[in-house]
Amino acid sequence: MSERAEERLPGVQYSRWSGIRKHTMLCCVSLVMLYPLLWMVSSSMKPENEIFTSASLFPSHFDLSAYKRGWFGLDVSFGRFFLNSLIVSVLSVIGNVMSCSLAAFAFARLRFPGRHLWFSLMLGTLMLPYHVVLIPQYILFLNLDWIDTFLPLVVPKFLACDAFFIFLMVQFFRGIPRELDEAARIDGCSAWRIYWKIMLPLSTPVLATAAIFSFIFTWDDFFAPLIYLGDPTHYTSQVALRSFIDSTNQSDWGGLFAMSSLAVIPVFVFFVFFQRLLIEGIATTGMKR
Amino acid sequence: MASLTLNKIVKRFGSLQVISDVDLSVEKGEFVVFVGPSGCGKSTLLRMIAGLEAISGGELRIGSEVMNDVAPAQRGIAMVFQSYALYPHMSVRKNMAFALETAGLPKPEVEARVNKAAAILQIQNLLDRKPKQLSGGQRQRVAIGRAIVRDPQIFLFDEPLSNLDAELRVQMRVEIAKLHRELGATMIYVTHDQVEAMTMADKIVVLRLGKVEQIGAPLDLYNNPANQFVAGFIGSPKMNFLDATLLSSDETGSVVSLAGQSLRIPRGLAAVHEGRVQLGIRPEHAMLSSGDIALGQMEIVLVEHLGGNTLLYGKLSDGQTLTVQVEDQARLGMGDTVQIFANAARCHLFTGDGRAFAAV
Amino acid sequence: MVGAAVQRQRAGRFVAMREGYGFLLPWFAGFFGLTLGPALFSLYLSFTKYDLVSDPRWIGMANYVRIATADAKFSQAMHVTFTYVFLAVPLKLAFALSIAMILNKGLRGLPIYRALFYLPSLLGGSVAIAILWREVFSADGLFNQVLAVFGIKGIGWVTTPETALYTLVLLTIWQFGSSMIIFLAGLRQIPQDMYEAASIDGASPRRQFFKITLPLLTPVIFFNAIVQTIDAFKAFTPSFIISEGTGGPVNSTLFYTLYLFQEAFAYFRMGYASALAWVLVMIIGSFTAVSFFMSRYWVHYDE
Repeated sequence: MSERAEERLPGVQYSRWSGIRKHTMLCCVSLVMLYPLLWMVSSSMKPENEIFTSASLFPSHFDLSAYKRGWFGLDVSFGRFFLNSLIVSVLSVIGNVMSCSLAAFAFARLRFPGRHLWFSLMLGTLMLPYHVVLIPQYILFLNLDWIDTFLPLVVPKFLACDAFFIFLMVQFFRGIPRELDEAARIDGCSAWRIYWKIMLPLSTPVLATAAIFSFIFTWDDFFAPLIYLGDPTHYTSQVALRSFIDSTNQSDWGGLFAMSSLAVIPVFVFFVFFQRLLIEGIATTGMKR
Repeated sequence: MASLTLNKIVKRFGSLQVISDVDLSVEKGEFVVFVGPSGCGKSTLLRMIAGLEAISGGELRIGSEVMNDVAPAQRGIAMVFQSYALYPHMSVRKNMAFALETAGLPKPEVEARVNKAAAILQIQNLLDRKPKQLSGGQRQRVAIGRAIVRDPQIFLFDEPLSNLDAELRVQMRVEIAKLHRELGATMIYVTHDQVEAMTMADKIVVLRLGKVEQIGAPLDLYNNPANQFVAGFIGSPKMNFLDATLLSSDETGSVVSLAGQSLRIPRGLAAVHEGRVQLGIRPEHAMLSSGDIALGQMEIVLVEHLGGNTLLYGKLSDGQTLTVQVEDQARLGMGDTVQIFANAARCHLFTGDGRAFAAV
Repeated sequence: MVGAAVQRQRAGRFVAMREGYGFLLPWFAGFFGLTLGPALFSLYLSFTKYDLVSDPRWIGMANYVRIATADAKFSQAMHVTFTYVFLAVPLKLAFALSIAMILNKGLRGLPIYRALFYLPSLLGGSVAIAILWREVFSADGLFNQVLAVFGIKGIGWVTTPETALYTLVLLTIWQFGSSMIIFLAGLRQIPQDMYEAASIDGASPRRQFFKITLPLLTPVIFFNAIVQTIDAFKAFTPSFIISEGTGGPVNSTLFYTLYLFQEAFAYFRMGYASALAWVLVMIIGSFTAVSFFMSRYWVHYDE
């Protein structure tokens, strides 16, 4: 002990075992947490009769027929549903990034009478539960004859209704040195040109974060499509999954798992490629997901 | 190039007045330095000239035009920021071209002007780099280059050297002075460093608490500070101020009593003033040998050897502290006593509220 | 001259106005058209009886009176929601904090663990996961298969009224990843030299945790608690999927929002549902207000 102790910092208790113990524990926790996800994916590739008879992750043989059954399990194919989800999500991303960055720029950078009032009202909407505006919005869209179209899902995104993203961007914009705006003003820029030529190019990290979260939230959104979409050809994948369990295909667990697995793929892909952005986004803003 | 006139310029933030009635005129081609301690309003004043802060009262003219509410870009000014404010996502070339492109100048002309400015500053080889690939000194040059391409009437510098290390600061100081000579442009330069002010300025404006304390050429400020604040601010090490009693004062000079000795100083106030005054002596003007007035004995408390000269900190016989700067390396130590002399012509007198006695 | 100056200042202010409000135009449209307007309208509706077909009929406080006194289903929804919120949120935060503490101690492989633990939290909001959860805890689902390995015969956890809600609590805890990331970020904010100073002062690791880590982390804990609680009050998808929209079995998973949804879009009692929405606002609002008031006594701020 005395021999090795010399290499160590004085008074600090080192234990190789505590490290191994921690790793073992963390690995167990990870395994327990991820097992259901892995089980879902593996079940989608198992022969139908194995799903509820074996907890194993490894099918006796790979059987991808569930994907085919699930894909055509409803009257409308899942290709349509995924396409619908994609359309709604992409439009939402565009809408959110555009409208929220405009508002955020005004709040973060422009000085105009009343901006403190509007900013606090904007923050207030962050706290307001969606359910309060839900029914009047529904009535409004009903009267506009927008029910059973994508408009109720997409138009609010173009009107900066997700205050959260405004807040996220305001935080980021405030971190960009004000001297850059001032230099640009002296260089003859209008507010619009500062926004377009200076602010946006310097904000790609936050724009990407907002875009990714916006995509994921919209892709996963269930409530709004559930209320606004009636015709199955307009369903998004989330609503379609729900009607899958409601339909007579109750017993087709393989198909259900197959489609569920497909439905989480886009989110998973973002997770794999943009993990760092997502984690930073959460760490800096305290997002709930 | 243009002249600049400030007439009773005021800045208020709410009820707080941060700039009060500043009058100033800057001639064409002049190099003017705003100097003062932090929070004195020098940067605010510069930003008001630039148009980045609204002017609460008074009149700002560039040339003959009133510019109070003209947009920054239309004032014919260019500004170099303390943080340089280079656009991080643009190359050096783009940074320098941005203002010209915004103004819609034809491409060949933009290119010609950028190249010309780059040549003046010798940064041709950096044109395709991004700001973060540059050293501090190089960024500084690019920031100046960005100002030059606009061919402004007036250059504004907001503490441009404070982010550089000491060596580079001296080098850039020389270069900016050289640039001023070459371009012959009107320049206004803000700094808190009185050495920069002394070395670069044609005219120094000393500010404190939003008010102008004195305007003048560097040596005027050094030789004839208008008040105790300017006297203390200009010059390094700082001027000594000793409590003294004014015995008499008229147009031929004043007599003060200090540590039991009567000293005749060739400075006077029109209105005869009696009572407590401050006697100001710069450390470099206090001497250990000859001089036409004697301040008496000083006991040395601390000695700083700077090589080329030596700073002696000590106490006079009446207990007042004094700093003396002597040439070369003095063989003196703590506890030694020395006799202090000075030339009366280089002494200053200030009233209790800080006003200077004029030289006679 | 003064007049001209005032005029110029007005012109400058007008430009600032035009710029500011120009950029806010889309937001204004959304704020007035889709947020403030609807919120006020729903406040009005909450005092009416409205079924989308005939015009709203003013009935005063009747909706609120009924909510407060005569609605057993409302009481059940409140009971379910509060049980869920006050079980799931503290457990989730405790779990997130413990894992963050373990990960923070310079463990190798931190990014990998962090990513793995975050994954459920990212995926968790989707219908697919709710479906998965339903099947994991069904009578012959994964959970019971694992129990069977140990010779235990499980029940249909989601179909048994006594246990159904707890599967949802578990689902929430399972998504502890984002809270953990926020805790990790908070832990990293604590300057290392504080621990160094504490060890020189002879503080044990245990004492360091209670005297340094925990107090300095209280703002983050508070923030996490507020966000997660508000979010938990609004939870909808899992209970909808697990109960197939009914809140069953026997209303044991009848979340507040699910009840609101049923009133509005199954029975088209829009007035009553609006009143329910405003009651939810009041619940969340008073919870937040109380939390902020209480925070003075336990949250430690630097400034």
